[in-house]
Amino acid sequence: MKRFIEHEELARDSRFIRGNNAQATVLASLPDDVDAVVKAIDPMAQLIEEGVRGTAAEPLFEAYGPAFIITVLNEPLDPEAPAAGIRLLFRMHGIFVGELQALEGAARSLWDFPDAPWEFKMNMARQCWDEGRHVQIFEKLLIHLGGEVGMFPENTFLFECACSDDPAMRVAGVNRGLEGLACDVFRDMIRYAQKTGDTVMEQAVDYVLADEITHVRFGSEWVKEFTKDNPDYLERTQNFRREVDKQFNFGGARSDRPDSAIQIAIEDRLEAGFDMDEINEISSLSSAGPKKETLRQAAAILKELHDARKSNQNKEVTQ
Amino acid sequence: MTERMYPGIGPDERTTFAAYSAFDIPEDLRELHGRYDVVATAKRVRNFRYAEEWMMMMMGGWIATIPEVPVKTGLGKVIWETAVAADEFGKRLPELRCGRRAVDSGEPSNNAFADFIQSLAGPETPNLTVEKLAGLFDVFIPHLIEIYELHMRETDQICDAPTIEILEDIVRKKRRHVAWGQEVLDRLCETDGLRERRRTRADTLREELLKSGGVTGTLDTRRESLN
Ligand SMILES: [Fe+2]
Ligand SMILES: [Fe+2]
Repeated sequence: MKRFIEHEELARDSRFIRGNNAQATVLASLPDDVDAVVKAIDPMAQLIEEGVRGTAAEPLFEAYGPAFIITVLNEPLDPEAPAAGIRLLFRMHGIFVGELQALEGAARSLWDFPDAPWEFKMNMARQCWDEGRHVQIFEKLLIHLGGEVGMFPENTFLFECACSDDPAMRVAGVNRGLEGLACDVFRDMIRYAQKTGDTVMEQAVDYVLADEITHVRFGSEWVKEFTKDNPDYLERTQNFRREVDKQFNFGGARSDRPDSAIQIAIEDRLEAGFDMDEINEISSLSSAGPKKETLRQAAAILKELHDARKSNQNKEVTQ
Repeated sequence: MTERMYPGIGPDERTTFAAYSAFDIPEDLRELHGRYDVVATAKRVRNFRYAEEWMMMMMGGWIATIPEVPVKTGLGKVIWETAVAADEFGKRLPELRCGRRAVDSGEPSNNAFADFIQSLAGPETPNLTVEKLAGLFDVFIPHLIEIYELHMRETDQICDAPTIEILEDIVRKKRRHVAWGQEVLDRLCETDGLRERRRTRADTLREELLKSGGVTGTLDTRRESLN
């Protein structure tokens, strides 16, 4: 068996279809400028529409247009908002596939780094069990909320950007970047469950969050250990995590702005070994992205452009 | 005579407590001496640790390449319990005079066994779940259970009791792993063709394992079959 696999090689059963990772990459580099956002996303409109056809995301596309992902990601989950149910399922499904990829990332660390210290392997092995349970937990929660596995395309960009071939960067990407994002998202899901009085979801996600803090702590400790006595290596590893965190801000969806969709879980991150400088850095990375109003305006323009194109196409067909 | 609490130096200065052998209450019929001395047991534990560590690593490699979700999640738990087994064996090594830093010094019994482990880890692509699982759950883990139980029976029951204790826990979990893995295989192999693939894979690996002498390299190679 070879060492190191590509994200395209993640094995899935027939329920799954793949999303397009390019969208996520574009999201990470959007500036705070309506025209620039429109210019970046409009060329992908056709691709995005094809990607959601036949999936549960189709109504979201119909409602919000090609920029539905930024709209859905950037508005806080609100049980009273229109399409709240499908948006909650969209989020849940994203978490479910995120857990699958976290399982795969931790497991590959066992095979990809055969010479790593034994304690590292123990930590990764423990994480395999935990992530395996998380996959089970989120499949149950998805069903609990009326959804099903495979109802939305799966984006493998979490695995793609977090799984470096270097051990320090792998744990920085997976255990601090990806798992840190999980802490932020799960804290938000707990708040949502409290709002809706869903005690099943609240308790389950609370347990998962406890596990994730442990996994981030593994990452915090192993980055230190792998890079000790080598400040240059530490700096490169931190830069790698910064890049990953920039991607995982989803164009500002996760930030410390008061109206952001996903708040940064400061307390949880501190417990997991992040220091305040690192947390502030994640905040500033996210605030460099587009503001919510910018995204709203861009999304409206993108929808108009797309609708206009479609009605032109329809006219041509009928002529 | 007054009750004497502690012995003195004279023959008439004994305590008054009744005399029992170290094995009287409850009666313990274990005898001293077993088939393996300290050096032999240390070598076997190093072999066991090598097997557990590699098994854990290859399952880690496979999770991403297996399409069946319950197999991915089930292997997560098997990986953890296999890592704990390797860890327990490692912690036993310094106790067997292998040095304080011996905790991660697993070693294969011989080159043929190391080659067997690489054959076991061979299947990669998503269409080979049957081959991946058959190697572990039809052949290798049952072999480990057999050898671990043999060690528990044949080692010195008193002197090597710490190894026996470790093996007891590990065997209990290994039996659960085999039950799970074989149930998964039964379900996945629903056609004659798939059942044949499972059998062929198991037969090939059994032969290679037998030739290597197994995890400890000491299996009688004239034996017709393993397990
Ligand atoms: Fe997780
Ligand atoms: Fe995790």
